[in-house]
This record gives sequence, C-alpha cells and structure tokens, in this order.
Amino acid sequence: MARRYDSRTTIFSPEGRLYQVEYAMEAISHAGTVIGVLSKDGIVLAAERQATSNLLEQSLDNEKIYEMNDNVVAGVAGHAADANTLINQSRAIAQRYLLKYDSPMPVEQLVRRLCDMKQGYTQYGGLRPFGVSFLCAGWDSTFGFQLYQSDPAGNYSSWKAACIGENYSNAQSILKQEYKDEEKEEAGPNVRTVGSQMTMDDALKLTCQVLSKTIDTAKLSSKKLEFATITLKAGKPFIHVYTSTEIDEVLKKYESVIKPADSQ
Amino acid sequence: MDPIEFRLPHTIQRPKATPNHGPRTHTTRPIVTGTSVIAFKYKDGIMMAADCLASYGSLARFRNEKRLMSVGETTLLGVSGDMSDFQHMQHTLESLLTQEYDMDDGQKLGTKSVYKCISNIMYNRRTKGDPLWNAYVIGGLDNGQKMLGFVDLYGTTYQSATIATGFGGHLAQPILRRRVEGREDELSEEEAVQILDECMRVLFYRDARSLNKLRRAKVTAQGVEISEPYMLETNWSFAESITGYGS
Repeated sequence: MARRYDSRTTIFSPEGRLYQVEYAMEAISHAGTVIGVLSKDGIVLAAERQATSNLLEQSLDNEKIYEMNDNVVAGVAGHAADANTLINQSRAIAQRYLLKYDSPMPVEQLVRRLCDMKQGYTQYGGLRPFGVSFLCAGWDSTFGFQLYQSDPAGNYSSWKAACIGENYSNAQSILKQEYKDEEKEEAGPNVRTVGSQMTMDDALKLTCQVLSKTIDTAKLSSKKLEFATITLKAGKPFIHVYTSTEIDEVLKKYESVIKPADSQ
Repeated sequence: MDPIEFRLPHTIQRPKATPNHGPRTHTTRPIVTGTSVIAFKYKDGIMMAADCLASYGSLARFRNEKRLMSVGETTLLGVSGDMSDFQHMQHTLESLLTQEYDMDDGQKLGTKSVYKCISNIMYNRRTKGDPLWNAYVIGGLDNGQKMLGFVDLYGTTYQSATIATGFGGHLAQPILRRRVEGREDELSEEEAVQILDECMRVLFYRDARSLNKLRRAKVTAQGVEISEPYMLETNWSFAESITGYGS
C-alpha cells in the first residue's frame, strides 16, 4: 500500500509521512557511527570507518571526516557519494561567503544553507533526497564552539553531544548520562552561551568511552577510526585531523575507559 | 548575507539569464559632488570629518549635505564625489542591513565585511565601464580592532592609519601623517579634534569647492556618533596685504 507513495518525494503518504526521507534516514542508521562532543575549549569528532582493508591507503583516504572551511569540520554518515556532493557544495558556499564578506562564514549559516539544499530535494524536482546526515563542528566569533546535526529532511539542531549512524540511540543515551553540563545564563542580547563543564580532556575521554560501546569490533584501533578536533590557537580556530599514529596515542591515553574485549 | 538561496534540482531551476537593463549607460562625469573626506585612527577609535557642501560644478548648491553615514552600529562611512552615486550606495547598504536583520541569527556585519562589499561593488562597476564616481572612507571597530580603509571609483583599495580623499590627499594628508602616524593608540580625543579642525581649516582656505560648515564623526566602542554641523573660525585679514592681480 505504501509503495504507491514511495517513488516521488513530493508526495505525502495518507498518514502524512514522506517515505523517501524516512528511507534515507534508515540507510544512515546502517552507516558508520559518527560522534561529536562539545567542550568549553573545543569539539571532538570521531567516526568509525566501515571500509577497511589492508590495501587501503589510509593516510590519503578520507571517508568520514572532512574540513568544510577554516572554522568548520564535519563528519558524515550515509551514502559516501551523496556526502561528497554536499561537502563540495558547502566548501564552495563557504568560500563564496569569504570572498564576498572577507570574513569566515558563521557556522549556523553554513549549516542552514546546506540544509535548505537538502530540503529542496524533498520537495521539488522528483529527485531522491541525499542519504547523508552531518555532524558539523565549528567555531565563530559570535557564538564560539557549536555542534550541529543535520539529516536528509533538512532539519538541523545544535547539540552539546550527538551521534549519527549505527547504534546512534545507544550512543546518545550514554552521552546523555555521562556528559557533564551546567547551564549558565550570560547577560547581554543575542548571547546563547551554554556553560559546559567539559574540558577537551573530558570530551576525548567520553568519546573513546562511547566509541568502545558502539563499535562492534573487539578492539578499537586507528585502522577503524577517523578522529578530528577543533580548538582555538592564538584566538583562531584550529582544525586537527588526526593521523593513525595520533589516534593510537589517544586510544592508549584513555584505554581505562575503553571496554576491554573480554568483558563484552 | 545572501537572501536564502539554494540550488534547486536542474529540473526545476534553470540558471538565471542575464537581465535586460535597457539602453547601456556609462557614467562619464560626476554632476553634484562632495569634496574631501579626512579620517584617522586615534586612541578610542576612528575620527572622520567632511564638510556639508554638495557642489554643482562651481555653484555651492546644497549646503547642508550629510557626507558621513553610519552602517550598522560599528561602521562609519564618509564619501566624496558624485552624490547621486552615493545615494545609490546608501540604498544598497540599506538592503544589506535589512537582510542581516531578517536573518535574525545574532550575527552582525563587521567593518571588514562592509568594506569588502563596497570594494567589490566599486570594482565591478569600473569593470563594466560604468563607475560609481566616488571615493569612500570606511572606518570602524571590529572586535576592538581599529580598521580604516579607502575605496575609489577604480576599485582601488588600501588601509592606513590616516586617509584623505580629493584635495585632502594633497593638503591634509601631510599634516595627518606628521601628527598621527605612529601615535594612533596614544592620541587623545581632544588632540584628535584639534588635528581634524586644523586640516579642515586649511582645506577651507585653499579648496575652492569647500565650505566652512562641517560635520565630525567618531567610532568608538560605544558606537558611531556623527556631530551636528559647526563652523570653523578663519582669518582672512591677510587678503588685504595681497598685491598684484587687481588693486
């Protein structure tokens, strides 16, 4: 019955659902997990690669985490080819803004433009939606560090910690439990600062903890992971995409929270 | 900020065809013009001045013109050259600010961004052979950093601690350079006003298209303030001692 309403995204089902959009989200829930954790000094992004082979040239192969801009780094989950198109689009959008205003694009505006495009593909043209969700981690001078999650429908929201891809609900509940947070109201108009009690160290630790619980492999290794952080260096945003050696170092540092293989 | 624009699938949205503007027009000369604008950095921010005259050739036609305007809360703009082209720029900047307001996301256009927008417009018009016949002085505070820049009808841009357009470049700039350069962070407001008035006085004596009525403006951390018009004291008694060219 539902089949009659599937093939064109412009059609609502009798129950008021857009099946194509939902199927896109279903595709993403089978993709490699991406986790993002916001701290007061920066944001951590970690992702599980699903394509692993000894033949892969890992240092040149970016599968999950991409730099959008000097001040935004994103993790993708879902169809890799769809993700690439959107990444290219966002990079061009961000550069056009820089060319026009001689200023880095505010994070939310970049996310919004990306989402407006994704929404267009759910309403016009009879084309299928993009089967990608993003976790965009960025910094701008007005709102500081921000983490945005966006889905194929074109929705986006800002998070302190979020997860997309496989086992995301599992990860989300662990994040909810373990995230140290204290709301602080800052005076002044247009300031939506949220005081996080997490340090970068806490964020890295929490990320490793959650990764170990959501990834199916017996032991976390740099072969299976992509890692990135965005922090401030000399007042400017600094994106660091970790090499496999650096990932191994992080995993070693926090091995106390990583669930050992035996007790799984 | 652009109005919300996104790339729709090609089945829906064709790329925009170039619109027909009617007969092609090329600005050849300015008509109603303003003379020098001078500006420099001082301790608290930027100070700028321009007289209240818009000339119609050699006729001192409009004697209460505003050649200084604020753009948002942190940027000050001074203009010399064709006044109708300035008014066009005013409308463009107004829609830019409206877009910012509509976006409603807590982000504000900084001075650097306003400067870039104006520079792009000026250069693009020059490339079409239809310039906006102006020289702009743009100053402001971006996160506490003082910024002062210049754009002209060619699209030439530069930034400096002291800026002057038109005759000001010949008569006022040497004074500004001697008295301001190197001391931008120490100059008090009183001394800044005094330097400004001295330069504007020289310009009134020697620029035949200037007026003794001027406005002064400053940008500080408190925002943009444009003063009411005031007159400078001048002494023309030396004229009686001139011999030659008449009695």
